[in-house]
Formats: sequence, structure tokens, C-alpha cells
Amino acid sequence: MRELVDQLRERLATVRTGGSEAARSRHVARGKLLPRDRVDRLLDPGSPFLEIGALAAFGMYGAPDDDYAVPSAGVIAGIGRVSGRECVIVANDATVKGGTYFPMTVKKHLRAQTVARENHLPCLYLVESGGAFLPMQDEVFPDREHFGRIFYNQAQMSAMRIPQIAAVLGSSTAGGAYVPAMSDETVIVKEQGTIFLAGPPLVKAATGEVVTAEDLGGGDVHARTSGVVDHLADDDEHALQIVRSIVGTFERPTSEPAPHEPVPPREDPETLYDVVPVDGRTPYDVREVIRRVVDDSRLHEFKPLYGETLVCGFARIEGYPVAIVANNGILFSESALKGAHFVELANQRGIPLVFLQNITGFMVGQEYENRGIAKDGAKLVTAVASSVVPKFTVVIGGSYGAGNYGMCGRSYDPRFLWMWPNAKISVMGGEQAAAVLATVKRDGLEKRGEEWSADDEAAFRAPIREQFDEQGSAYYSSARLWDDGIIDPVDTRRVLAMGLQVATAVPVPEPRFGLFRM
Amino acid sequence: MTTFSSVLIANRGEIARRVILACREAGLRSIAVYSDADADAPYVRLADDAVRLGPTPASESYLSVERVIAAAVESGAEAIHPGYGFLSERSELARAVVDAGLVFIGPTADVMDAMGRKDRARAIAERAGVPVTPQYAVAAVPDDAYPVLVKAAAGGGGKGMRIVREASALAEAVEAAGREAASAFGDDTLLVETYVEAGRHVEVQVFGDEHGNVVHLFERDCSVQRRHQKVVEEAPAFGLTDELRRTLHESSVALCREVGYTGAGTVEFLVADDGAGGQRAYFLEMNTRLQVEHPVTEEVTGVDLVQWQLAVAAGEQLPLTQDEITATGHAMEVRVYAEDPYTGFLPQAGHVAAVAWPEHARVETDLLGDAEVSTAYDPMLGKIVVTGVDRGDARRAMVAALDDTGIFGITTNVGFVRRLVASGEFAAGGIHTAWLDSPASAALLEPPSLPELAVTAAARLWATYDVVEADGVFGSVDGWRSGGEPAPLTVVMTDETGHRWTSRLGPDDLADGGELAIVDHDGVAIAWEGQVWALELPDPMRGGHQRGAATDADVVSPMPGTVLRVDVREGDAVSAGQTLGVVEAMKMELPLSAPYDGTVSLVGAAVGDQVPIKHVLFTVDPATTPASGA
Repeated sequence: MRELVDQLRERLATVRTGGSEAARSRHVARGKLLPRDRVDRLLDPGSPFLEIGALAAFGMYGAPDDDYAVPSAGVIAGIGRVSGRECVIVANDATVKGGTYFPMTVKKHLRAQTVARENHLPCLYLVESGGAFLPMQDEVFPDREHFGRIFYNQAQMSAMRIPQIAAVLGSSTAGGAYVPAMSDETVIVKEQGTIFLAGPPLVKAATGEVVTAEDLGGGDVHARTSGVVDHLADDDEHALQIVRSIVGTFERPTSEPAPHEPVPPREDPETLYDVVPVDGRTPYDVREVIRRVVDDSRLHEFKPLYGETLVCGFARIEGYPVAIVANNGILFSESALKGAHFVELANQRGIPLVFLQNITGFMVGQEYENRGIAKDGAKLVTAVASSVVPKFTVVIGGSYGAGNYGMCGRSYDPRFLWMWPNAKISVMGGEQAAAVLATVKRDGLEKRGEEWSADDEAAFRAPIREQFDEQGSAYYSSARLWDDGIIDPVDTRRVLAMGLQVATAVPVPEPRFGLFRM
Repeated sequence: MTTFSSVLIANRGEIARRVILACREAGLRSIAVYSDADADAPYVRLADDAVRLGPTPASESYLSVERVIAAAVESGAEAIHPGYGFLSERSELARAVVDAGLVFIGPTADVMDAMGRKDRARAIAERAGVPVTPQYAVAAVPDDAYPVLVKAAAGGGGKGMRIVREASALAEAVEAAGREAASAFGDDTLLVETYVEAGRHVEVQVFGDEHGNVVHLFERDCSVQRRHQKVVEEAPAFGLTDELRRTLHESSVALCREVGYTGAGTVEFLVADDGAGGQRAYFLEMNTRLQVEHPVTEEVTGVDLVQWQLAVAAGEQLPLTQDEITATGHAMEVRVYAEDPYTGFLPQAGHVAAVAWPEHARVETDLLGDAEVSTAYDPMLGKIVVTGVDRGDARRAMVAALDDTGIFGITTNVGFVRRLVASGEFAAGGIHTAWLDSPASAALLEPPSLPELAVTAAARLWATYDVVEADGVFGSVDGWRSGGEPAPLTVVMTDETGHRWTSRLGPDDLADGGELAIVDHDGVAIAWEGQVWALELPDPMRGGHQRGAATDADVVSPMPGTVLRVDVREGDAVSAGQTLGVVEAMKMELPLSAPYDGTVSLVGAAVGDQVPIKHVLFTVDPATTPASGA
């Protein structure tokens, strides 16, 4: 596990350097702060920053062997404290392909907005983007969850009184231009920030007009003439300080302090490295994990003697009460029923749910199918899907098949979903998939009276296994934003506490559940 | 034997405090006097009684013999201690005190008269065998005598004094000095003496009693001066030959005997190379009072000079004979002034917000905290005195003491003196009385630039003060980043010139390093090697930032209207906020003001003109580059 964490830290460090050395030097030479420095300067001094999708687009674009072609998908997103309140920050990284939007950039921007909307967090956009990445325009422009959704979200959130603030710190063209224009309050850096729907080359092509970028949409123009922006800043630093001042004017409170005094776990979280086996096939007691995450290592376990493959119980994390649902083996009917009951209980009590996922799936076989494991599994899925309390999911091992659904996978709208570096996610295991497909093929061959040698079958199975292994890795998942990030297991407690803290800003509605098939 | 049980101190500030404490130790009732400006001064509260002298101007308070005597009579004082400065060397006061039937703590009025005039003092010195500079008749200065010093016989404080380097300039200098002397002292008698170049100021502390005893308490070096104002004083004077030292001591005692001197006094000399590898001393003048720098003598001799003054004034014998007086170690004093060494030592006034004096030093001051400093009186705020086994030791102690000094709110010379005392020139002992006023000191008089270490310390202090843990995990201030190194704690502050400093602090930097500073949410004032630097966290919504664009030079009509007034012409210098003109529009009179200090380069309308909105009425060119981007 330590090796996996070292690899994670190394990869995170690499994506966090941003674009190429040359691009960064050019950026800095223009008197601009690098995007991560911008985020740091925007945050309150010393504020933690809960980054979302740091490894987005990892290994997705560029040459096949280049995992870092578009680091962090060219945009930094996360939650941090600004002027004493938590905000979502979305900062374009112009050192990465000019800050243009790749499909994952769009997805990440939208994900950050979702986090903001669900937790009522003000959005601070640090804009420096050339708009859509044109070679992939078909994957970023037209669909429901594409570029236009960013502005739709801005309008929707503004209507919900979730402040939308933009600082234009560089060229903000085309789609990029709408982020400031759609914001509640906007800052621009003079002689650096520009906002226009079409840049000088496009203007010349369209109308023949020859105009400089500054005259077309520079800070002075927008602050004094067009009114597109509200504040004119001298430079990045000044602009960020103005944004801080703007946030300082928000009166609506956000998160609430923990209702209980936080107590560290009795068991040092560092020892998670030692108690959790990396190989998902090696069983261990998930209570070992819980003990290293919750306050005082104290768990009020529910139904400890029933449905033992699912551990349920109440605990606290950094003083926030939580209801924990953790896999401790394969899901049987009893485990699913116990889980459904417990999820309902958490909703009755208004206590946020934390799912610790390590699930190969529901038990299969005639006995279980005949006893109706499908409807018991459905009860758990219904309970999870209908939950109104904030949900948090950490994939600490495998996440396979319908187990992913019952344990609040991405489709079940957990407020956040994090992965440990050893986590695996796919519809089924690579071995099982290969076996299923091999059986299907063998049946077909045998029907035609053909034979299939053991060697041929092995050759057939290998690439399937490989494909599942590759696509099941935490990095494959994180790159595609199936999760909010891969975390060091030691940080689990902290990351959950951060999620719990921001979730307190939104009141929990009355619980109401879908039909439970009896 | 004239005994007394109460003493009125006809002075203010640190010397008043010094004498009040001495009186208390001697079992005497102390009576302070104060002007309106000093009504709340700590020394006033410290004294057993206090009497208001009058309004703030010294002429109506501390310099009024009449009021001082009236205060003494009113408060039942039996003796008066004049301190130094103000009336301390006015025989008029000494006489009035005696006439009022009170005891004057100091020499007799006649002795003060005799020593107060340079011509008479010089004659007495010559009689007593004190070495003096060659003197010439005004009309008969030989060609080889130059440079010479022309000075008023009745003078003091540099008034009526001229250095003449060649014969052709003499007549003019004599005329000017005479004129000055006549107006300042009512007496245009002039002396012409050889001017001693690059001399050191060495003075001998003397004491006499009514019983004919006279002793010296060794000598002091006060060569570090600017415009005849002492800055650093030491005891003993270093690098004197035993022979010269003996000459100084013996001739000073002889001088006192010659005039029948009683009380504390100081005989001042210039010491210079004699051109033959040796040293020579020349009598300057005698001060018939306690000196500001008396503590350095006290430190090396162990004698409390104020107690001796009280004893002698009470008619007692000097407590020690010459043989019993010894000097041990080295003492050094600096005078802390409210002045700006980097703008020609201009006196400074204002509100002192906080003061930190060094703990491991003798500090003579009445500035103990929050106070107003006015320019009505001498700008000296206090004195710092340290001792050491030798000069180097004392010098190091002084540097350390000045590092532990912080005066916040007004400009002082502390940082400058710290640099001076730490300088190679001072360490080498090569500073003569004219050094600070000569080009040799140019580097020292260049304002220092803000040291980066001071900025880092200020940033750390600010962060320690302002970056504190708040609620929840997001309220932690550890700069946590998922799977990475914590973000440095960045503090950006601007200094007084508008320069922006960025400090990156690690988690271990949140600790108080013991610096002297005033810290609040908006900034830090930090004393660094005696110099106070103000760093602020700029308010982004204020200042020149928002108006930084080039077009800000234009002052435009805010509405369509009629020009009602034009107050400036092209070429006029204007200051920020100054009204340039008035436009009338929509029944309102709208004054237009200068955006910053500068010069009007354009007046775009005349009175009575109808102007459209945004019409450029004035253009102001900034006096200096505006602080944009800074």
C-alpha cells in the first residue's frame, strides 16, 4: 500500500506542475501567477484545499505513453476557505493547451459546479481560457452535459443565491467569455484580461474590422465602457484580493461547526497501510479500517450478529455524526436487508451516510436467486437511491457489479466519491469476465462441433483480463471523473470530514422512500 | 549649612524623572512643573507634587524664571534643580532662586556669568593654565593662521559662529557673525581662534563643594555629533595618552579652583593631533550644570552625580576625595531623538503608539508608552546607557540594546544610531565632531532599504496573529493538500514605498521570534535593528489600484453641466484631493479634485462653458510614477 501511495503522490506532484516548462515560463514572464499559485493566493492563508479531479484526463489525451498531456484536464477545481467561508474554486490552467476545454475539462467544470450546487458553495472562477478545444468540438459543444451546461448552471445557481464570481486573468474568449458575463460580480486584470465572443482574427475574418485585443475587450473597455466587469485590478494578486473582498461581503453563512468535540482515532491512521491488504482477494475485517477513521475509534454497531458481511453503525468523524455502511464480504440477502434498514434509520435521524466500498457483488447461485436476492438487493438500492441525507462513498477495495449500486456508486449521487489507490472498479472482475466470455464462445464452438484448445482459450482470455484490469484501475476511473479523486488512505478521515463540513450548509429534507419490493 | 526637604525640578521629561527619583531616594519631597503639553506626562505623576507652569510654549513655561519661582513659592519648594537645557545655565534663575530665599542646585550665579561668556571663560582658563587655542585680534589674523573660527563672545549653540578658511572670507564672516551675535545675544563681541580640524570632543566631569574641595570624575568622549548636537557619548575617552589625560583632569580641576566652582560642571575640550604624532587639547568652554551624558560617568565611577548635587547644595562635603574616585570599564550612551536622520535630521512630532526599551540597559526616559510628541521642546526622547569591560564590549552591548528598542508611531534616530554604532568607522574610533556633517558619512546617511529578514519576520508575526485555527477541518491552517506537500502560507504585504513583498512561510514558521512589533489584521510595524518599518496588507478596494489606468490623468465632467469655477492654471502644482474646479449640473455643485499629487498640464474649459459628460476638464500629470503595479 505504501508503494501505491508513493506512486499516487508522485503522479499528483507531476500533474500539479501544470503545463510544459516553456508554457509556464512564458506565463510567469508576463507577470501572471501560475494557476495553482492563484488558487493559493485566493484561499485564506493556510486554508486546506480539497481538490476535485486532480487526475482528470490522466492518460486520456496526447501520445499513448503520455499520461500527462493534459494535466488535471487543464483546470483546477476544489473547495477551500476564502474570507472565512468555503467556496468552490475553478481555475483554468492556461499553461495547458491555452486553458482550452477538452471533454474532461468540461466534465470537471460541471462536476465542480455540481459540488457547489449540492453544498451551496459560492463559485469562484479564475478564468483564462480560449474556449473549446476545437479538434474535439463535437465532444464538448452540443450535448446536454457539454459546454453550454456551465452557463446554465451559473444561472441556476445564481437563482439559488449561490454566488457566482469570476476573475478574468487572461484571455477569455468565446465560451470562456460567458463565464464572467454570466457571473454575479466580476474582476478583470488591466492590460492582461480580455473578454470577447470572438478574438481579433475572427473579427477580421467576419467583418474585416481590424482591432487590438485590448481595444476589443480589455480590462479598461469592460470596466469603463461595456460594463461587462465590475472591478479593474492591477494584476493577478490584486484581482484575487478583490475576489476575497467580494466573498467577504457574502452574509449567508455556509458550513456549521461540528456538533461534537473531535477526538482522534485511538488507532493511528498511518497503520492503515499495514492492516489493509492490497490484493483484493485477501479477506480482512473492515472494522480495522473504521477504527482508523472514526473519532476515538468508537463505532456503535447495528445488528452485529445479523448479515455479518455488511458492517453498519453510527460513529463520528471530526465531531460530525455519521452512519457507516461498510462491506465485510460478499452481499447476502440478510446483509442487503440490514443495509436497507440501516440506511432508512440514518435518514430518520438525519445522519449523513458514509459507504466504505469493498464489494465483489451480491451472492449468486440458485439458492440465493430462488430466495430472491435480487429483490433484497433492490431494497438496498432503493434505500440508498431514496436517501435524503448527504452520502459519501470511499472505494477502499473492489467495486464490482450491482455491489457498486447498493454501496452508493457514482450513479447514486454521493456528495463525494473517493478512491483509494488500490481500488478496482468494473462491472465484474477481469477473470470472471474472461471466464464468462470464454464459456459463451466455447458453447458456440461446441454447438458447431468445433474444438477449442486450452492454449487458444488462454490466448482468448488474456486480452479480456488485461482490458478489465486496465479499465478497472483507480487511475482509469479518476481520469474519467467516475470519482472525485484518489486519496491516500490516511487522509480518509480528513477528506470525509471536509465533505461532512461543507454538507452542513444545506438542510436535510424529510425522508421519503421509493417502493421496497417485499 | 543650608538644608532643604523639598526640591522643585524646573525641567521636564527624562531629566525631571531622573531628579525626582534621586530626591525620593534622598528622602526629599519632589515637585514637578509642567506646561499644558506635559500635563499627562509620566514624570508629572511620578513627582510628589506638580505645579502647572503655563501654556505649551517654553517661553511661557519652562523658560520663564518668574513662573518657575512662583511655582516654587506656591508649592513650598525649598530648593530648585534646573536639570539641563531651559534655564539651567541662566544666572538670572540662580539669582532669583537665591533672592527668593531658596537653594539653587548648581554653581553660583557669578560663576555662571563668568563661565557663560566665551571671552571671560577663556581668560579664566588661561589663568588656570588650561590649554587654549591660539587667539587673534579680529583685525590682525595672520595669513598662516587659517582656518580660524569666528565666534560670538556671548554665544552658544552655534549661533554667531563661522569657520573661515582663507583671509579673503574673513571680513564677510566677521560681519555676519557679528550681526547674528548682536541679534541673538545683544552683544556683537567676537573672538577669532585657530580652528581645530577633525578634533574629538573630550570633556571632564568636575565637582566642587562649598568647602573648597574640587575633584574630577574622569572624562567622556562626545565626538559623535551632528550640527553640534551630541549623539553618542562614552566614558572614558579612548585612545588618549596618559599625559594628555592627566593634563585634562588637572587643568579642569585647576579651572574650578580658579573660579570657586561648586556643584557639577563639565570642562569641554577639543582633542586633535598635534602634527608631531602626539595629541593636543584645547579648551572649548565650561558647562555649569549637569550634562545630558552624565550617566556614562556614573556608570564607570559608580557615583550618583545627582545625589552629589543634592548633597553639595545642602552644604555637605563631597562624599569622596579624588583618590577615592576610580573609573572601571567602559560606558556608552546614545541619545534617542524624534528626528529623521535621512532628511537632514528634521525633528519629528506625532503620536507614539507604543515603545519598547531594552531590558538589559540603563534607560533614561519619560516616554513610557502611548504619548504625543510635539516639536515644542527638544526632540530627545530618552537615552540608552550600557557598560562593558572595554569599549568593544560596550559597543556590542549597545548594538544589542538598540536591537531591543522599538519606538512606534513616529520617526526616530534609533535605526540610524544602531547603524552608526555598528559601523566600522565608529568601532575604529575615527569619528570626529564634524564627521557626521561631512561627506565621509554619506553612506551612513543614505536611508537603509527594508531588509528581507525583517519582512519575513513581519510576515511570520502577522500569520501568527491573524492565521488562527477556526471551526472544522476547513478551519485548520496547515495548508493541507490531498496527496501533496502542504501549501506554503503566503503573506503579501506592501511597504511604505508601495513595494510588494511576498513571504512564503512553512508550518514551522508560526512562532513568535521575539521581535518588537505591533501587529494587527491590517499590517505589521516591526522594529528591525532599531528601525521601524511599516508593512501593510493592502485593502484591495482602496488606494490607487482601482484608478491605475493611464486615463486617470484626466479629470472629466461627471455630468453635462456648466463650469462654475476653475481654480487652477496649466503648470500649477496640485496635491491629491485638491479642488481643481467646480461644475454645476442638475442643481448640484460638483467639485473636481486632483487624483494624485502632480502638475496640471491641461485646463479643458473656462468658467461659464457648457460641457458634456466625460468632457476632459483637467489633466494632471503625476508628480512621480504612480504606484501602479507596485
